[in-house]
Amino acid sequence: MAFNVLIVDDSSSMRAIVRKIIKVSGFNIGELLEAADGKEAIKVLMDKWVDLVLTDINMPNMNGLELISEMKKDEMLKLIPVVMVTTEGSEKRIQESMELGASGYIKKPFLPEEIKRTLSAIMGEDEDGQRDYDEDDEGSDF
Amino acid sequence: MDRETMMKTMREATSNVLETMFYQPVQIRDTNCSLQKWFSGKQFLVGATLSFNGPSAGSFYLLLPATMVTGITANFLGIEEEKINEEQKKDTVKESLNMIGGHMLSLFDTEGAFKLGIPEFIEENDLTKDKLGGLKGDAILIETEENRLAAGIVIE
Repeated sequence: MAFNVLIVDDSSSMRAIVRKIIKVSGFNIGELLEAADGKEAIKVLMDKWVDLVLTDINMPNMNGLELISEMKKDEMLKLIPVVMVTTEGSEKRIQESMELGASGYIKKPFLPEEIKRTLSAIMGEDEDGQRDYDEDDEGSDF
Repeated sequence: MDRETMMKTMREATSNVLETMFYQPVQIRDTNCSLQKWFSGKQFLVGATLSFNGPSAGSFYLLLPATMVTGITANFLGIEEEKINEEQKKDTVKESLNMIGGHMLSLFDTEGAFKLGIPEFIEENDLTKDKLGGLKGDAILIETEENRLAAGIVIE
């Protein structure tokens, strides 16, 4: 199954970098969507099926923490994993994000491997697009 | 935070960002040279500024030669220099400072007491030699293989 990923950052350069890393990561990616802030992200989320959100924190209009809070108010959107990709790396900010429901935290500057590792952890796939599964699941009806 | 620790943190943050994201090995120069003297050539400069507030307020800034921006943008985005547009260049300069400022705060602000603003681009007309002399605060002077840069912090 291909995953749709939404990249939220007010820097178009940063969105381009994350997009490029994901594209060449070897994961089974469907659509790569972009938004420049939390408000735009909510519009995209209402319009498209998204499996994972990668978001910056420090953005105009609606920041990344406000975006998670908004998503958690919606029955469908609250199920989507959100990973913070941000320069704001204090312990307090990380804890705040996790308490709001973030699934992961990547500090800028980052190495491409950190994005790949996070994708792997969230999507449960290795980089060849093979889904990890528990041996107990083998032969199940799913 | 005392001045020495602050500047040490800025050196570490700047090196880390430039080397990790832009593949630019850098040397930080320990000198009291003024910005006017450091950028003594005829080159045009561009830059970015980024405000912060919290227990103290102020701003970070980054200055670099306009001719260097195309190269770092190409490195950053992984595309050919001929395909780079002005918006991408400005965005890359702003994002560079955003990462330096954010990384610097993360090194000493474990409580998350400081908040960063949104980075703003400084056009080359606003960075003439006369105006460089008016820049207050402390700066670190950075050298790559081919260029000279500066990053600084101004506490209000």
